Amino acid sequence: MHQVIVESLEDYIGGALAPAEQRDFEAHLEICAECRREVDGMLETSSLFDSLRAPEELSAPPGFYARIVAEVSKGQAPTFWSLFSLDAAFGRRVVFASLLTMAVLGSFLISRETGYSAGPTSSETVMAEHDSTNRDTMLVTLTSYYEP
Amino acid sequence: MGTLTGALPLPAIAGGHQKSRVDYQNTQEGILVRRAQAGDEAAFRDIVERYQSKVFSIIHGIVRQRNDVEDIAQQVFAKVYFSIKNFDFRSSLITWIYKITVNECFDYLRKKKVRKLVYESDLSEDEVRRVENTEPAGERQPLADANLARRDYVLKLLTRVSEEERMLLMLKEVEGYSVEELAARTGMNENTIKVKLFRARQKLVKAAQRLDRAPGLVAG
Repeated sequence: MHQVIVESLEDYIGGALAPAEQRDFEAHLEICAECRREVDGMLETSSLFDSLRAPEELSAPPGFYARIVAEVSKGQAPTFWSLFSLDAAFGRRVVFASLLTMAVLGSFLISRETGYSAGPTSSETVMAEHDSTNRDTMLVTLTSYYEP
Repeated sequence: MGTLTGALPLPAIAGGHQKSRVDYQNTQEGILVRRAQAGDEAAFRDIVERYQSKVFSIIHGIVRQRNDVEDIAQQVFAKVYFSIKNFDFRSSLITWIYKITVNECFDYLRKKKVRKLVYESDLSEDEVRRVENTEPAGERQPLADANLARRDYVLKLLTRVSEEERMLLMLKEVEGYSVEELAARTGMNENTIKVKLFRARQKLVKAAQRLDRAPGLVAG
């Protein structure tokens, strides 16, 4: 579709084009079959819209506002589950804070875990961990040592 | 034709120049909206009373079922009540309410269609035939009423465009707004409106072609 048509189409459909513009518009349609075909289709669909106009004016029946208020109150009545619902923005912040806390706790626990040996301790390890100058303590530890 | 232009003031147009959002907030209607946004029930009641007739007419034009018009209008104003805080003064209040109303009507038609399909799927062929024969004459032969057929057809076409395009087409074609008025009421510039309407019309023509039914066949 050519620019001249896009530019003036709404006024053309609404019958609001100035005579000179109307002549230019129609002159273009004479020479451009593609634009003519498309504008014809648009005029036909445009003509269907008058079927959507109300055939008569309707006024609201008495008590209409009271029924809206009832409808609104129905929508506002808190349900059991709504007690647990949170404001969306606040909920997002809570989720973010929880994730952050979990990440900090997780990294702390992992760093603590590295302080312990992964497998069961051997008797040699127990001996190495004790002060070699204190023979009595080492003997007590070795006698109570249980081989896993 | 009862256009919005004729029935209501144009809050966004003054002396042919487009007013800013701030200007609109300071109009009588803008102040009313701000009061409603602050939870003033009397202001909300004013809004309902101001626009209820228009909303009824829009719904009646689209749905044509008088019994359902009030139910849909109630839903519209309940939505207005709950969403008024989100109204940002970019468009005029009636344009915003118009959009809610048209969407609510299409939602109603879609649900009605689903209900009908579910109901019919539960019936045998004989039962469907019997039900069709007991419906009132107006509904038994919808094609006999050319206007009803055209309405159904254009509603079907309008389901193929976006909500915004549907609203612009309805405001232009049904309410009779000019491009300048549309620009003022929606906060878009005139060229944008022209291009959006042009694309919407192209979609309607393509939808009509896809339905394999020339619009001329259903026209009056």
